[in-house]
Amino acid sequence: MKITMSRVLCIILAVSTVSLTFSSRLSGEEKSGVGKAPAKIDAGHLKFFEKEVRPLLVKHCYDCHGDGETDGGLAIDSREGILQGGDSGKAIVPGKPEESLLIEAVRYKNEDMQMPPDGQLSQAEIDVLEKWIAIGAPDPREKKADSGQKPVMGMSVAEGKKFWSFMPVSNPPIPEVKNKSWVKTPIDAFILAKLEENGLSPAPRASKTTLIRRVTYDLIGLPPTPEQIDAFLADDSPDAFQKVVERLLNSPQYGVRWGRHWLDVARYADSNGLDENLAFGNAWRYRDYVIDSYNKDKPFDRFLIEQIAGDLLPEANRETITGTGFLVLGAKVLAEPDHDKLTMDTIDEQLEALGRAFLGMSFGCVRCHDHKFDPIKQSDYYALGAIFKGTKTFSDKKMGAIKLWHEHSFATKEELESLKKIDAEIAKKKSAASAFKTKATTKLRDEARRNATRYLVAATQFDTSAPLKRVREIAEPLGLHPRILHHCRLHLEFHRDDPFFVKWHELNVQGDAAGIRQYYEPLFKQAETAFVEARKKDPKTKKLDDPKLEPARAALYDLYGFLEVPAEPEFAFDQKTLKEYYRLMEEARVMESKAPDETAVMAVADGEVQEQLPIHIRGSHRNLGKPVAREFPQVMRTSLVRPVFRSDQSGRLELARWMASTTHPLTARVYVNRIWRWHFGEGIVKTTDNFGKLGAKPTHPELLDWLARRFMQTGWSTKQMHRLILSSNVYQMRSQIAGGEKTVNHPEKIDPENSLLWEFRIQRLEAEQLRDAVLAASGRLDTSLGGKTVPLRNRQFVFNHTSVDHTKYDSLRRAVYLPVIRNNLYTLFEQFDFPDPTTPTGNRNTTTVAPQALLMLNSPLIMDSADALAQMLLEQPISDIERISVAYRKTLGRRPTDLESKKAMYFIQGISELAMLDATQVDPVQKQRAWSLFCQALFSSNEFIYVR
Amino acid sequence: MNHNCTLRQRRLLLKNSAVGFGHLALMAMLGEEAKAERKQVASNNPLAPKPPHFPPRAKRIVFLFMKGGPSHVDTFDPKPMLTKYDGTPPPFDLPKVTFAKQGNLLKSPWKFHRRGQSGLPVSELFPHLSKHIDDLCILRSVHGTNPAHGGALLKIHTGSDQFVRPSMGSWITYGLGTENQNLPAFITICPTLAHGGVNNWGTAFLPAYCQGTPIGNASIPAAKAKVKHIQNDRIDLSLQRKQLDLISSMNHDHLKTVGENQSIEGRLNSFELAYRMQSSMPEAQDISQETSATQAMYGIDDAVTEDFGRQCLMARRFLERGVRYVQVTHSDSEVQWDQHSNLYQGHTKNATEVDKPIAGFLQDLKQRGLLDDTLVLWGGEFGRTPTSQGTNGRDHNPHGFTMWMAGAGVKGGYAYGATDDFGYYAIENKMHVNDLHATILHILGIDHERLTYRYASRDFRLTDLAGRVAKDILA
Repeated sequence: MKITMSRVLCIILAVSTVSLTFSSRLSGEEKSGVGKAPAKIDAGHLKFFEKEVRPLLVKHCYDCHGDGETDGGLAIDSREGILQGGDSGKAIVPGKPEESLLIEAVRYKNEDMQMPPDGQLSQAEIDVLEKWIAIGAPDPREKKADSGQKPVMGMSVAEGKKFWSFMPVSNPPIPEVKNKSWVKTPIDAFILAKLEENGLSPAPRASKTTLIRRVTYDLIGLPPTPEQIDAFLADDSPDAFQKVVERLLNSPQYGVRWGRHWLDVARYADSNGLDENLAFGNAWRYRDYVIDSYNKDKPFDRFLIEQIAGDLLPEANRETITGTGFLVLGAKVLAEPDHDKLTMDTIDEQLEALGRAFLGMSFGCVRCHDHKFDPIKQSDYYALGAIFKGTKTFSDKKMGAIKLWHEHSFATKEELESLKKIDAEIAKKKSAASAFKTKATTKLRDEARRNATRYLVAATQFDTSAPLKRVREIAEPLGLHPRILHHCRLHLEFHRDDPFFVKWHELNVQGDAAGIRQYYEPLFKQAETAFVEARKKDPKTKKLDDPKLEPARAALYDLYGFLEVPAEPEFAFDQKTLKEYYRLMEEARVMESKAPDETAVMAVADGEVQEQLPIHIRGSHRNLGKPVAREFPQVMRTSLVRPVFRSDQSGRLELARWMASTTHPLTARVYVNRIWRWHFGEGIVKTTDNFGKLGAKPTHPELLDWLARRFMQTGWSTKQMHRLILSSNVYQMRSQIAGGEKTVNHPEKIDPENSLLWEFRIQRLEAEQLRDAVLAASGRLDTSLGGKTVPLRNRQFVFNHTSVDHTKYDSLRRAVYLPVIRNNLYTLFEQFDFPDPTTPTGNRNTTTVAPQALLMLNSPLIMDSADALAQMLLEQPISDIERISVAYRKTLGRRPTDLESKKAMYFIQGISELAMLDATQVDPVQKQRAWSLFCQALFSSNEFIYVR
Repeated sequence: MNHNCTLRQRRLLLKNSAVGFGHLALMAMLGEEAKAERKQVASNNPLAPKPPHFPPRAKRIVFLFMKGGPSHVDTFDPKPMLTKYDGTPPPFDLPKVTFAKQGNLLKSPWKFHRRGQSGLPVSELFPHLSKHIDDLCILRSVHGTNPAHGGALLKIHTGSDQFVRPSMGSWITYGLGTENQNLPAFITICPTLAHGGVNNWGTAFLPAYCQGTPIGNASIPAAKAKVKHIQNDRIDLSLQRKQLDLISSMNHDHLKTVGENQSIEGRLNSFELAYRMQSSMPEAQDISQETSATQAMYGIDDAVTEDFGRQCLMARRFLERGVRYVQVTHSDSEVQWDQHSNLYQGHTKNATEVDKPIAGFLQDLKQRGLLDDTLVLWGGEFGRTPTSQGTNGRDHNPHGFTMWMAGAGVKGGYAYGATDDFGYYAIENKMHVNDLHATILHILGIDHERLTYRYASRDFRLTDLAGRVAKDILA
């Protein structure tokens, strides 16, 4: 830690100067002290300063604390600066070296403050500085004229109150438009008004085939079946589309798709990641809770409260407590030895997650300093921090150096009893493996000891540079262990000075192998015999008294001596032993993986209530400032009346209720914007997780407010929002149309980004949609819901030191149920822009890289699915042309054109004919292959992966 | 307008599918000689080589990572005082937070010898490597912050031990692109999946193309390590070519109906690149093309050194094909360099496994002139304590440890910085991990303060808000 803090000193720029300048302004005393003209400096002192002190300061300090640089808020290049000090306080106290921070820092005794950071000053230099301060720090340096550098400062709270996202949600009128007939919902009016303002008109309505594909992927993440398409096409009623929407909203698969959206925001994962990757064996209960909440259309305000304070609700139950998993799911440095740091790091993660997820605000940077851009102050951060400092996120249980997260148990007594037995079984299996290893190693040691002299003799036949192959040629005919022999030679080399081996070296140089045998054999024999005898008398005997024999005994019995057995089983054991050892290890691992977990949920609880928390200067838990009481961020407060926090609770419930109130300027806006983003591929505010100054401005601010209001008016119902948005003409527009068909006014030139929504955006399938669609089209998808799916026991290591990946992704259930392993995401997820599961994400990327194509071309998932679809086609008693049509309908949701059919036929025949059994007979294996390659081509096609 | 123009040109190029793609592929394979055309291929390619901020000393970098933490006082930083005061309590203050309980001072079981013209001391653990001492720039004052493996690995690879941040290789790829468009820009051979795992070669918020491509992992022998899905085990390439032509034809038909769309067009290209990678990756990894003398130089003929030798030889083949960043990891299946006990045995084994391969690697790079523009970095996530843990081990020590560099841009036969008399703390010319990163970027021609990426409202850097270039080590 020594280094951290000294780094921090020079890392943190003048960012927290705000509070400092503020306080010095208030303190008249300090101000007068700083501004006072210097007393006249004694000539001798002046000479001393110029000759000794100034060069030293210039050389060692000015880089970071002079010439405009003010690291840690400290400028040392003027009398005024050095007296005023930096974030940690005054740098010097004239006349009192012992009280001066500068002296403390250069003495290097305080780990947290060592200057200069790249190495300690010489004692002579330190003496100079001490003397200088002792004589009153005479200093002729005047402050240079202001270099124009101003302290970096964010918006003030007053300014912030006028920033769009902190203003109350307005009640905008529905705009008037020219083309009234196009307006089906108020959404259409808001969008159309902007289009008309810019001389644009909306794209025509999409075809019914396009619409059903779009809305089915959108709401349930799966392609429509040919039957569903036919039914929709055949339904001429005016509410045909509405019926489809209702069917999809009522499908439990809806929660699978939309729950997954929220899981992105909740940085959901089944393992901790970061330093120690332990399985979150109970995280799935939170995942199922989210999916279930979406299927139930749980009001969002309630959903929020449960996730922040579900355990504190008067009616708290299993469901609401499960919700608080949101606060526990973050990645933590579980082996961090500095527990105070770990506590603050964890609070930081929680604040960052809840800020981004619910408020579109980044609180993370406020840990060290006031926000550089947004009106969030460090005092706001620690006021929230106090609430979470009073919250228990860690369990009291530990696993060695690893701290464990908190869980809330629902286990019955009987369950706990039976788990005890299971734990004992696992421990037994594990110790069986290690006992086997110990036994086998002991056997090797005994053998080696019996052959001690032969090892020493054989070691004369090669030198240390001999490759193992050569050593093996020597060892094996002699019945010696090659690795032990190899090590023996190295040991002799590295222990030339060991008196016991001096003789070996002497004789070895002379090439006298026989001499070595003659010298060591009797020595070992006598030592062994004497040791056995001595132990007969006293079994606790550790050493021999005979000074001649004792070194021989010591050498023989030193586990790490010249006869050391390699620690790595693969080096030590023969194949048979190794196989058995691995079998036992695997048995223990499998038993542990499959063992039931205690019925528990990852959840927080209240800990020791903290009424206040000191501001951590520059984010350091070792440099504490003024304490702040529990509060909500000033700029978001909607009432002058301050809340009263219960003194017997952490304050999370008050926080959650405030966040979920209809007067909060951000919560509803942020969430409806997320819904909009997930439907349209882009938010009204493009930066879905940042509604701050550096975030994007809303393209349609009135629409955003109208939606936010409507959302709250309809009881924070997500499904009502879907109904509203999906029934709009905006949602039902056509997507990209090739150049010629575009309207005369060329929207792509006026609004190339399509920010105004003159057409529907083409969207690439997300990782889960892609996988599930491939499985669905090939008839392999298992749509069952819920349950534990991560193949690891709670708190089991995902990886130990071996890096062997035991996690399988061959389940045919929906992708939301595949394990999300931090540090080693499923390849398909990783390649298709699955979000980093350590950071809340509302806006996934869409990137295109070659490994995605490799996966489409070569992965078993795609090839097996193509095989299954091909087989299904071939089993049907229909013509090849009809088969091609079925394949198109299942994968692309439409029939092929004649030309497409012909091309497909040409391809299939071309490949089938590569393997004719005779003039008419095609090898059935090759035929199946041809159809499979065709199906795989459909899966790989752009039309499959881009939804319009 | 200009923008539309290029799009149209590009589409015209793509329209002649078979010819177009064949042509593009051929040009890419011709590599250097088709520079002019290559630029065109790369026009829409974020991985195209990008100019550095200033003339670089090295064009590419290879990191030989020793997982677990090799002991500096037993390898490159001799401490006679340790021998003198062996077994006595440390006469200095220990850090406030240590990983485990610290014992008395423990002398090194190995002797040091002065080597080469420079006369720099190397312990007898590295008989082969010590022959190259005049090429090494020994950094004796590296220090980090985190005393646990996970945090320290993340710190050395990403600059942060607290958050998920882009790895050094990703930053370098982001800054410089790469020279060979048929191979990944950033390759990590047999990396460990523990202690940060993918985050150690991940992009975090940088674009996906900056992601490191792992070849196998630490549990897979180098001889069997492969990129995921690099081969189709069911059909041969000629059949796959036919299938690819069908996909391409479907996609071109589709493109006609959607109009201009960069990502859809980009996806067309990605299939062709993937097809080419299927040949170029195995070719680059195929060390059977090397003479037996070369293989022997890396110790591939010896079971002890074979695995790491293979990794090093593969690394050379990638480097010479223009891969920007290659990492090689030495991490066996048990404890790696993490000798909390049995220091003597563990370090002997580890050093023997890497000594000859690294010496051969340096020699090979030199012979081929690659060392002139390649930076070699060696080291672990931290060093080990001069105090003992148990009777015969050493604990983690991030407060002062040794790494070394070799090759382009750095002084050879040079030792930089120092730890105290016992080797616990860096005291002279201290080089924090951020400083190490700043220096590496500098050698590659990048100003670490200018290589930034805006994310979540702020500009991020590999070196966060710190980092000083150690100018003294630059050649």
